[in-house]
Amino acid sequence: MDAPDLSVELAPRHKQGLRLRNPVMVASGTFSNGLEFARHHDVQSLGAIVSKGTTLLPRRGNPQRRTTETPGGMLNSIGFQNIGVERLVRDICPIWATWDVPVVVNILGDTVAEYARLAARLDAVPGVAGFEVNISCPNLDVGGIEFGVDPAAAASATRAVREHTSLPVVVKLTPNVTEIALIARAVAEAGADALCVANTIMGTAIDIEQRRPVLNRPFGGLSGPAVRPIILRMVWQVCAAVDIPVVASGGIMTWQDAVEYLLAGATAVQVGTATFVDPDAPWKVRDGIAGYLERHGEPSVTAIIGTARTFRRD
Amino acid sequence: MTTTAGLRFAASVVANRVLYGQTWQMLLDAPGPVRAGRPGQFVMLRCADARSCDPLLPRALSIAGYERPAGRARLRLLYDVVGRGTAWMTERTAGDAVEVTGPLGHAVRLRPGTRHLLLVAGGIGIAPFPWMAALAAERGVSVTVIHGARTAEELLPPGELHPEVELVTATEDGSAGVQGRVTDALPDYLDWADEIVACGPVPMFRAMAGLVRRSGYRRPVHLLMEEIMACGTGICYSCAVETRRGVRLVCKDGPVFELRELF
Repeated sequence: MDAPDLSVELAPRHKQGLRLRNPVMVASGTFSNGLEFARHHDVQSLGAIVSKGTTLLPRRGNPQRRTTETPGGMLNSIGFQNIGVERLVRDICPIWATWDVPVVVNILGDTVAEYARLAARLDAVPGVAGFEVNISCPNLDVGGIEFGVDPAAAASATRAVREHTSLPVVVKLTPNVTEIALIARAVAEAGADALCVANTIMGTAIDIEQRRPVLNRPFGGLSGPAVRPIILRMVWQVCAAVDIPVVASGGIMTWQDAVEYLLAGATAVQVGTATFVDPDAPWKVRDGIAGYLERHGEPSVTAIIGTARTFRRD
Repeated sequence: MTTTAGLRFAASVVANRVLYGQTWQMLLDAPGPVRAGRPGQFVMLRCADARSCDPLLPRALSIAGYERPAGRARLRLLYDVVGRGTAWMTERTAGDAVEVTGPLGHAVRLRPGTRHLLLVAGGIGIAPFPWMAALAAERGVSVTVIHGARTAEELLPPGELHPEVELVTATEDGSAGVQGRVTDALPDYLDWADEIVACGPVPMFRAMAGLVRRSGYRRPVHLLMEEIMACGTGICYSCAVETRRGVRLVCKDGPVFELRELF
């Protein structure tokens, strides 16, 4: 039997599409802009790379302390430290343009207009294969409520990007909502080619000796295996709510975790925190998925997507 | 797994014991690239059982050198028990498997012309110095190590240093050496030192910065910084440090920084 076909299409409705040679991506904020790992790993053999969250102007990020370990996870409050879109275009995109792997730029704005400007600025830049719109950030148009918690605001950020680029657009949802399917539908209707489920879950930790939050901000984003059952449930719900591809991102440590997400309906997966623990994790996940398909006699990744959804109750 | 060059290796514990006071020494039989580290670099050691996700994150540890019995280099780590990760480390015995990522970060680059090297350590900040001192001494550099601790039993035993390296000690309780901190012993050596490397807590660095400014000391002072890390490889942005040239990452841009860039 031939080796299974690992390729997936993330933007089937888009005229160029966003074809990945395998379903394993690296999550935004967990791989910098890929240059560090390019020194010692074959980054071009990943399905896709998602850049560090990029803003119009450079951001210094938050002061210490930025992360803390929690049971089976970690909290982070990095504060979107990034070099800003102009330096990205000048220094990083030309390197990406030489790579044979799609690089998706994660963008975030303080206002709808900023999303539009970021999309327009990066639209025709060689090396940029698409966008991942981060809507888990405060909307200063309406007093700082996160874009991603309100269907209308989430849709307007999506539309702003959609109208200013011809590239595929993935929207990364926040899990910090009551009904994620509502947001998913609003964003899909606003023109997203795919959804990423999901960003980190807001949490906190308190230093009981100093009687203050451990992190520099009271709250941080929880990631790691601790969040996986919650995000897996959300992937299931979002896959039921929309008919565009869903990228799963939540606590994948092993290939088995990734297969769970594929069976729940995800078209691709993002490995994030696991890469902190084991720099080889994304590649091990990819190889493990291939081995699983072979053992089960499956011809392709697409053959197993969503297959746990049609189970029969005993 | 053939498509990655890899930084991460399976290693096995050769020995693991208390070296002095509360400070432990772990020797690891580690494959090729891990053994190519230079003084100042570090490794990330995963501190959980295989398949366990708790504790989740690996711990950053200074490379304390390599031992070469019968040609087989062993990675040496010195550590104090400060939390769950290092507590897990103390439970490893000979033959246990551990996972190591490294060597990581930049090594300390001494000036070729340096004849008098001063190494200043607070507590477990001593970890990289016996090795760094020995390498310098073997090149004919005159080396003095100042080690400060709370009490005598937490001081590096003199036998752990190359025989030609001078050890000066300071204890907060006065039970050995100079009573006080390393910065109480430091002024006597400023005129002598062509170059200084320091490793310890941030308050020690601040005190050193004050001394350096007041004394007009103009030669290089390298600091080996410690900061909370998740990855050690430049991708998580946990270990940010403010420098005069902007925010830098201890793991990727350091851990060695010039004192005047930070304080």
